[in-house]
Amino acid sequence: MRNRPREIVLGTVAILASVVVFIVPFVFIFLTAAKTPAEAAEFGFSLPTEWAIWDNLTTVLTVRNNLIVRAFVNSTVITVLSVALMVVLAAMVGYVLQRRRSRWNHVVNFFVLAGLIVPPAVVPTIWVMQGLGLFKTIPGMILIEATFGLSFCILLFRAFVSTIPKELDEAAWIDGAGPLRVFFSVVVPLLRPVMVTVVVVQAVNVFNDFTGPLYFLPGDDNATVQLTLYNFQSQTMSQWNLLFMDILLITIPPLVMYIFFNRQIVAGMTSGAVKG
Amino acid sequence: MVVGNRRRQLAVAVAASAALGLAACSGGGGGDGDSVEITFLTQTGGTGPEWAEALIEAFNEEHPEITVTLNTQPGGTEGDNLVKTKLATGEMEDVFTYNSGSLFQAINPDQNLVPLTDEEWADTLIESMVAVVSTDNGIYGAPTGASQAGGILYNIPIYEELGLEVPTSWDDFMANNQAIADAGHTPVIQTYGDTWTSQLFVLGDFANVAAQDPDWAEEYTSNNRRYVDQPALQGFLNQQEVYEAGFFNENFASALFDDGVRMVATGEGAHYPILTGATSTIAQNFPDNLGDVGFFPLPAQDAADTRATIWLPNAAYIPSTTEGEELEAAKLFVAFINSPEGCRLQTEFNVPAGPFATSLCELPSDVPRATQDLQTWVDDELAGPALEFLSPIKGPNLENITVQVGSGISTAEEGAALYDDDVVKQAQQLGLEGW
Repeated sequence: MRNRPREIVLGTVAILASVVVFIVPFVFIFLTAAKTPAEAAEFGFSLPTEWAIWDNLTTVLTVRNNLIVRAFVNSTVITVLSVALMVVLAAMVGYVLQRRRSRWNHVVNFFVLAGLIVPPAVVPTIWVMQGLGLFKTIPGMILIEATFGLSFCILLFRAFVSTIPKELDEAAWIDGAGPLRVFFSVVVPLLRPVMVTVVVVQAVNVFNDFTGPLYFLPGDDNATVQLTLYNFQSQTMSQWNLLFMDILLITIPPLVMYIFFNRQIVAGMTSGAVKG
Repeated sequence: MVVGNRRRQLAVAVAASAALGLAACSGGGGGDGDSVEITFLTQTGGTGPEWAEALIEAFNEEHPEITVTLNTQPGGTEGDNLVKTKLATGEMEDVFTYNSGSLFQAINPDQNLVPLTDEEWADTLIESMVAVVSTDNGIYGAPTGASQAGGILYNIPIYEELGLEVPTSWDDFMANNQAIADAGHTPVIQTYGDTWTSQLFVLGDFANVAAQDPDWAEEYTSNNRRYVDQPALQGFLNQQEVYEAGFFNENFASALFDDGVRMVATGEGAHYPILTGATSTIAQNFPDNLGDVGFFPLPAQDAADTRATIWLPNAAYIPSTTEGEELEAAKLFVAFINSPEGCRLQTEFNVPAGPFATSLCELPSDVPRATQDLQTWVDDELAGPALEFLSPIKGPNLENITVQVGSGISTAEEGAALYDDDVVKQAQQLGLEGW
């Protein structure tokens, strides 16, 4: 009870800090998105004198034959499929790497770490994709995103599997379960917290990726949301109101995700982070 | 490097033959054999994509047998890398727009582009435009818009109120600044929040340098001229002098380009050293004030040396991976950009900020005041291209150095010496002789 006043002060400070750090920029985006071009170019933190939010919204959505709607569809497909691929593959690899000790472990670990450290080379990657006939296609982009994210996911899964008692696997073995049954029926349900972490972190990563689609997925039919931001910006003439409206639209999906999965995200992060 | 090049050529060849195979298939499948599909790449931002869409529509009316698909990509550094990547992997669109001058030279035109010297429009380019879209082997690009100038946009109502004359020498300019400051206005607008805008005192002074020393650019490329020596040093000295006189707006360190445009358009400030392309922002945000903004070049010390420094427009190119029917169609499309209808579309979608670079297009009579002012300088032949169109050397840090000089952190001499060091690495990377 003695600590009450101090807690209240601390809590208030924390709330104020988060308002300044998160809410103020968001309000600024919203207000600028509702202004006319001339007023938006002043970058003032003020209410628009003339609300143009509906006009701006329809302009942004219909610009260049609904380019942004198309971009949202593309981004969603790429994000969902590549994250699904990452979760399935990384969970399997992480499980095997942690449970089964063999002399291949060092080799596999080396390549997992190499995947984190070695930067992707653009032109050779494009040659490979051209050879496979996957360049400028959505499946090709999904594979690239999955490859870039896989190493990080494997590390997370491997760390988390070490917190699952080996006795659970052994009990299942004794009951007569095969390797696949052990993995899918016993281990996967226990991996849920770290799966949520991986899904959220990688979904935001893939959704926000700019350079990947820029180089590996050219062409207007393949546009992704981050690339559409450049439609409203250039050196001497920028339509800031439309740019901020586009930012507002792009911010919404990750925001909704955080609001709904808030609890699982925090749980997943804390449970996976303790043991190495 | 040799291995890299061979693989690159191989990849280009593979891609080209694949494209040919596809074209043959579609021709055979369609049965008519006449329809051709080509792609057109332009940069996003501003009115670029709108212009391209209108251009394609107009082109299709004239050539219904050719289908043009539009692709867009960002400009700037990302765009530079992407263009090089696409050329190296044989994925470039059939027609693409890109910068002229040093950036054009950097994409290795002789190897990657189709020469267009024999096209009808090639003879109509003005001399300075030819220089920035050609190599020793021929002309490669057709201009895709009007040129612009780097100089001073000034607020006409302030000049009228104080009864000032447009200055042609540096001393007149400083006298005007003093008069404007005495009347309680801001004489010179600077916007270092967007660092690129700080370079105008130096870059916009180049035509004056060339007027005093016609060989300057060439000698600079072969390392015989430096910015620490006159006449080139004057650009840095001018910036320092204006700063020390206290003529800048109070928030010069953080103001943005859009602030600067607003200030000069609405009379919050008198002079804004900037590119005349800023008039399109005035037209978008302050259409009523378009007539209030005029243009004059950055004055030289001696009025006889004062010239307008011109930035030439971007151009449309055809990559060497485009062949056969597509190449013919692509050439028709490039020619259409500067046809009478093409010219009309250029001025409709972009407020012309300067004269055209080809005699095929003419400025309409209702261009903004600043463009008219610039046109008189060009008509009097008192204009010259900016340094970046005459020499491949442009150091990456100039905008930071001019911010230092313009904020009083470095003196003009120190800034010029820093910039001379800055360009050495770039010149060595380009493999220029004498560095």
